[in-house]
Amino acid sequence: MKLKSTLGIIGTALLVTFFPHASGQELTGFEIMKRSDDAVRSTNDSSFIRMQLSSCKFGVTQGRITCAERARVKSLESVAKNYGPELKDTKSVTITLEPAAERGIGMLSYAYEDSERDNETWLYLSAMGRVKRIAAGNSEEETEPASLFGSEFTTEDTDTGKLEEYTINLLGETTQGNRDVWQVEMIPSAERARKTRYSRVVEYIDKERFVSLRSEMYDQYEREVKRLMASRVELVNDIWMARSLTMMNLVTNRLSNMAFVEIYTDLNIEDDFLTQRTLTDAAYRETELEKLRSQLN
Amino acid sequence: MLRFCPLIILAQLLLTKTYAQQEEPLILDDSVSFDTELAIDDDIFGNVFDEDTSSTTSSWFEGFTVRINQQFSGQVNNHAVEPFPGFSFPRESELETNRLGINVRYQNAFAPGWLLQASGQGRIYLNNDYEYRANKDHIDTEFRINEFFLQRSFGQESIKFGRQTVVWGETVGNSVLDVINHSEFRDLTIIDIEDARLNQWMVVWDHFGESSNLSSFINLYPEFNPAAVRGSPFFFEPLFNLTDYDRESKLLFEAGTQWKKSFEGSDIAFMAAYLYENQLLYEDPVTGIGDAVAEKNDFILLGFSANKAIGKLLLNFDFAFSHDVLANSFDFPGTSTLSSPLNLKKDQIGTSFGFEYAVDNEQSVSLGIQVQKILDAEEGLLPGQTLVNDGTFGSWLVRYSNTLLNSDLVLSSTLQGDLEADSLLALLGINYTINDNWAISGQIISINANADSPLVFFAEDLRIGTTITYSF
Repeated sequence: MKLKSTLGIIGTALLVTFFPHASGQELTGFEIMKRSDDAVRSTNDSSFIRMQLSSCKFGVTQGRITCAERARVKSLESVAKNYGPELKDTKSVTITLEPAAERGIGMLSYAYEDSERDNETWLYLSAMGRVKRIAAGNSEEETEPASLFGSEFTTEDTDTGKLEEYTINLLGETTQGNRDVWQVEMIPSAERARKTRYSRVVEYIDKERFVSLRSEMYDQYEREVKRLMASRVELVNDIWMARSLTMMNLVTNRLSNMAFVEIYTDLNIEDDFLTQRTLTDAAYRETELEKLRSQLN
Repeated sequence: MLRFCPLIILAQLLLTKTYAQQEEPLILDDSVSFDTELAIDDDIFGNVFDEDTSSTTSSWFEGFTVRINQQFSGQVNNHAVEPFPGFSFPRESELETNRLGINVRYQNAFAPGWLLQASGQGRIYLNNDYEYRANKDHIDTEFRINEFFLQRSFGQESIKFGRQTVVWGETVGNSVLDVINHSEFRDLTIIDIEDARLNQWMVVWDHFGESSNLSSFINLYPEFNPAAVRGSPFFFEPLFNLTDYDRESKLLFEAGTQWKKSFEGSDIAFMAAYLYENQLLYEDPVTGIGDAVAEKNDFILLGFSANKAIGKLLLNFDFAFSHDVLANSFDFPGTSTLSSPLNLKKDQIGTSFGFEYAVDNEQSVSLGIQVQKILDAEEGLLPGQTLVNDGTFGSWLVRYSNTLLNSDLVLSSTLQGDLEADSLLALLGINYTINDNWAISGQIISINANADSPLVFFAEDLRIGTTITYSF
C-alpha cells in the first residue's frame, strides 16, 4: 500500500467556503479560482475528519455509472493542523480503522508549501514494530503525483495553490446538474507542465457557492483521462462543502469515492499530537483523540 | 555457480508488460450520469451518510482483530542434493505445510493514558503437514502468545510492561542492529523478519522530548532462538539433542537505550545495550552421551542508525560495534548447529545499508546490504584453526513490488544472497485482496547454493505455497 500524502490536505483542499459573490459575473477565471483557493485555505486548519474511501471497477449501463464489482472500502480518521507564517504548511496524522487487515496502520505527514522543501511521511506498521520514514518526495516537485491510499485520487488532484503556475481562462457559463456554473480552464505553464500529468483541466465552479462540481483532466493528447464529480454539497457550519467526491479514471475504468462522513474544524489540537509519538504510543493517541472528540460535542 | 531463477525473470517481464499496457480512455459523454440530479448515487458505495456516526463510545469487543488462514506449501522439485563430494541424498517433492491458523489481536485503551494490547496465534497442523508427520501422523496443535503488554502514558513519558518487541535499525530485513528480540525461521514460506521476530517480556520506557526521544528497555527473561522444530525443513537430526539454555538459578537480564532525533528529511539514532547473543552455542556433552550443552554469551552493542530522504529515494544506514561476541558462533537464520567450541570472544563491526526507491505510484525497489567483520580474527587461534566466519561476511537483499487495482493486487519479488555468492534465494509473491474480508496469496521460492553455504541442503529446492485469509 502506498501512503504518500496528507489526509489533511485531502479533506480540506476539497472544501470550499461560501463567498458572497458581489459582481460575480465580472470575475476573471483567475479570480474565481483564487477565491475558491483562498476559501479552502481558510478552512484548512485544525480539522478532524472521518472519511470513507471506496474504490471499484466501474461500467456504464443505460447511461448510468455503476460499480462493476463490490467496492473496496477503507475507513480513515485524520487530524490536521496548519503551520508556518501564512499557515500554508500542514501536519497531519491518519489512522486506518477499516478494513480489519489494515487496522491500526498510521501515517504522519508534513506537507510544506515551499517547493524547495520535500514533504515528509512516516508510516507505522504494527507488524514491523517501528516507525518507518517513507520516501514520498514532494508532490510539487519533480516526483509523480502520489496516490492516496491506493485510490484514484492523487496529491495533484487534491492540491491547492500554485495558481500562478497556470494560465486560467474563463470559458463561459453553463449549468451542471441544475446549478449555474463557470467553466474555467487551467493550462499549466511550461515549468508546471513538467510536474503534472495533465495538459489541461476544466473546472465547473458553482457560481453561488464556489464549489467545484466537476473537473475534467486531459492528457497531452487532449484525451479526457480522469473526471471528478462532486455531490452532497451541503452547508455545514457556514461552509459549503462537497461531502462526496468521485474520481473516475477513464483509462483504467476504475473509480474512487471519497466520502467525508464527519468533518470538524477550528479544534484545539496540541502540537505534540502531530508527532511520531502518536503513531507508536497508542495509549497517548487514544487519550488525545478522546479529548478531540469531547470538543466535537 | 549461481543461477537465476527463470520464474523470477519471467515474472519481472510479466510485471513490466502489465505496467506498460495502456488502454484508450473511455469516452464519457454528458448524458452519462450517476443520478438524475447532479449528485452521484452514493448508494453504490453503501449508505455511509445514513449511518449513525454520532456515537463515539466503543465496546470492548471492537478492539479485536481476527485473522483466520489456511496455508498449503510444499517442495515440488524432485532432485538430489550433494552437500559433500561423494555424498548425496534425494529431495523428493512433498507437501510441507497444511495448516489452519488463527491470529487474534486485541487493543483496548480502557482508561485515559492506559492501554492493554495482546496478540496470539493458534495453529492446527493437518494431514501431511510436517508437524502432523512429526506427531506420528496425528493432528497437532500449537498456541502462542505474541504480544501481551500494559501501557501507561502520562505527560512526556510512556511505560510498557509485558511481552513486546523492540526493533532497532533502519535497514528493513537484515539490519545489524535488529538483534534485541530473538527470532524463529521455522518455514521456508516466510522470509520477512517481521514475521519471524519473537516477543520477549520487557519493561520499555519512552521519553518524548521537545526535539528528541529516548527509549530504554530492560529484559529480565532473555530468550534464545529456538532449535529447529522436528520435521521442519530446517531440522536435521543432530548428534545430540539440542535443548534450551538451562538457566538454573542464574538471573539473566538485558538492557539498552536508544536516543533518536528527527531532522527535516532525516532521522538519526544512537544506541547502547548489554545483550545475550540470540543464537546459543551448543557443545558436546562432557560424557559423550545425553543432550548437547547450550551455552549463552553476553556482549555489548554500540550502534548508530540514520536515514535520509531525497525525493523518491530513501537512504538507510546502520552501524554496530559488538564487544565480546563469540567468534565461532554460527548464526544463519533458523539454523542451530553444533560448532567447533573455540570459545573465542572477539569484537565485531557490522554495517547494513541500502535504499528504497519509489519508481512511481505503483512500483518500488529496495536494496539492503549487510557486511560484518570480526576484528583481530587470527588472534588466539591455534595453528590450523579457522573461524566459521572469516574475513568480511554478510548478505544482500533486493525487493521489487508493484501495486495494482487500487492496492488490491500486489506483485513482489525478492532476491537474497550472501556476499560470497554461495547462495541465492529468489522469491516471487502475489497477494490479491478479494474483498474487505478475504485475501489470497501465493509464493514461489527457489534456492540455489553451493557447498560453502549451509543452504546447500536446500540447493535446487523449489517451493510453492498459497494462503487464503479471512479477516474481521
